[in-house]
Amino acid sequence: MVAVFRTELVKQLRRPRTYVALGIAAVIPIILTIALKANPPNPASGEEGFFALAPNSGLFVPVAALRFMSRFFLVLLASLFAGDAVSSDASWGNLRYLLVRPVTRPRLLGAKLGVSALFAVLATLAIVVVGLVAGVIAFGWEGISVPVAGLSQSAGQLVGNLAIATVYVAWGLAAVVSFGFFVSTLTDVPAGGVGAGIGLYIVSQILDAITSLGSIRYALPTHYFDAWDILFFGRGPNAEMLRGVLLQIPYVLVFCALAFWRFQRKDILS
Amino acid sequence: MAEPVIAVAGLTKRFGPVLAVDGLDFSVDEGQVCGLLGPNGAGKSTTLRVLVGLVFADAGQVRLLGRPVRPGDAVLARAGTMIEESAFAPYLSGARNLRLWWEAGGRRWEDADAETALAVADLGSAIDRKVKTYSQGMKQRLGLARALLSAPDVLVLDEPTSGLDPGEMREVRQLLRRVSERGATVLLSSHLLAEVEQVCDHVVVMDKGKLVAAGPVQQLIGASGSVYLEVTNVRRATSTLKKVKGVTRVTPEPPGLAVELDGVKRSEVVAALVHAGVGVETVTTRHRLEDAFLGLVGEE
Ligand SMILES: Nc1ncnc2c1ncn2[C@@H]1O[C@H](COP(=O)(O)OP(=O)(O)O)[C@@H](O)[C@H]1O
Ligand SMILES: [Mg+2]
Repeated sequence: MVAVFRTELVKQLRRPRTYVALGIAAVIPIILTIALKANPPNPASGEEGFFALAPNSGLFVPVAALRFMSRFFLVLLASLFAGDAVSSDASWGNLRYLLVRPVTRPRLLGAKLGVSALFAVLATLAIVVVGLVAGVIAFGWEGISVPVAGLSQSAGQLVGNLAIATVYVAWGLAAVVSFGFFVSTLTDVPAGGVGAGIGLYIVSQILDAITSLGSIRYALPTHYFDAWDILFFGRGPNAEMLRGVLLQIPYVLVFCALAFWRFQRKDILS
Repeated sequence: MAEPVIAVAGLTKRFGPVLAVDGLDFSVDEGQVCGLLGPNGAGKSTTLRVLVGLVFADAGQVRLLGRPVRPGDAVLARAGTMIEESAFAPYLSGARNLRLWWEAGGRRWEDADAETALAVADLGSAIDRKVKTYSQGMKQRLGLARALLSAPDVLVLDEPTSGLDPGEMREVRQLLRRVSERGATVLLSSHLLAEVEQVCDHVVVMDKGKLVAAGPVQQLIGASGSVYLEVTNVRRATSTLKKVKGVTRVTPEPPGLAVELDGVKRSEVVAALVHAGVGVETVTTRHRLEDAFLGLVGEE
């Protein structure tokens, strides 16, 4: 297990695409910081939530970046890493050579899943860490106190909540990652798995917007995607967040089980 | 008697409506260089894929080094494989590809037979270039190198010389002979009779998924071959030939005759016919293997 995981990790680390993806994830918070520094939002102008708070505390830059980028860009990156995990090797014709070794299929698949998940986490971390550094440099390491809005947190509390939010957002990608990964085992077309992950997110978001669907919406994998902002407006993690965390589990189990089940029985024809 | 290194029994594999392999039986004994010969679409690649655990058989049994083949089985560590074209991660160098592939199996690079492999790849400094810059022939050689990294006991190669130029083909053939001398068993597929003749000591001929002929190459194409004759008088030729010692069978094959010989020279056969007053218009030497093979591929 360790050996395949390591070689698959090295394959990703040596792939130029990886750096382009992570690079973009890291550059956007910097651009955001520069933009906010150059044109500080006027609290009275009704600027969108977290952006407006950034000039008060640099710690809100990563929060704003996370909110802004999790809505699509992060989903795109996670789908990219998971959705072609298996299908890219298949498309090169290399998958069969990975499997004519004394390496069982579940082991190879487990390694690839682990690497995909790791890079989804790394992409999330890249946004937060770069945002944090850039934000603190530009706006300082400050707590926040906006009594009118009932908002009062020390810098330490903000950092703690930022950490929780990061974990929550990364885990919130789990359904998308597992679905993209599952489709990746079915196809020799890398874009298929990537598109599947993004597709699941979009469909889930669209259905979630149809309020007349009622309680079905609570089972959609992205329904609680944004629930973490309570951390910065309210007091702490709440029941919504807990539901968001738990909701990922059945999706992960089902999609991963399908992926392993399918891959175990599949004829490797690529 | 020792168990064959490769044993295929009743192998059947269907792809939807296509019966790719149909009740195939053959075996390869230790130290043999066996050719799996058949025209395109005969089911060679499918057979080899089943043999290394990539494709699941619908029926039948396949054993490699005495064990039923299952994906990821430890026995695969003793096999070197190349199925259809060689393929690699295009953005990595040839050297990196080999190394990562090897290490994925939980082995240390120091334990690989890298010297042999790199000599086979013969890529010089190009080994450190990205594979996507390689020509088909370079990839093919790198693929052979990969198959040899483990100093395998059995080599399973699917059309190993495709994409190579004549010089490279010759090198591959010499290489296979060296590997075989070292004691390894080789099963290679090919759609070229001449290649099998040159490289292999045994041959399995298949067509449309079925076994056509199998045995030592010498026996199938050796001196005891057959000739095809076109003569002026088929009836008299037939009766004359039947009396010639060493003629084992005479089969009418209009417009001529197929004559199987065992220990008699073609010139003696022709002399006997002429002596009996039969004019001989054509004499074509034929191998039984070629007969079988040409029969399969139709008129070409
Ligand atoms: N993935 C597949 N789907 C459908 N048919 C296939 C597939 N792979 C091979 N076949 C068919 O199976 C037969 C045998 O193919 P193959 O084993 O590749 O033959 P060979 O290697 O001797 O050229 C052919 O008729 C081919 O069209
Ligand atoms: Mg083939």
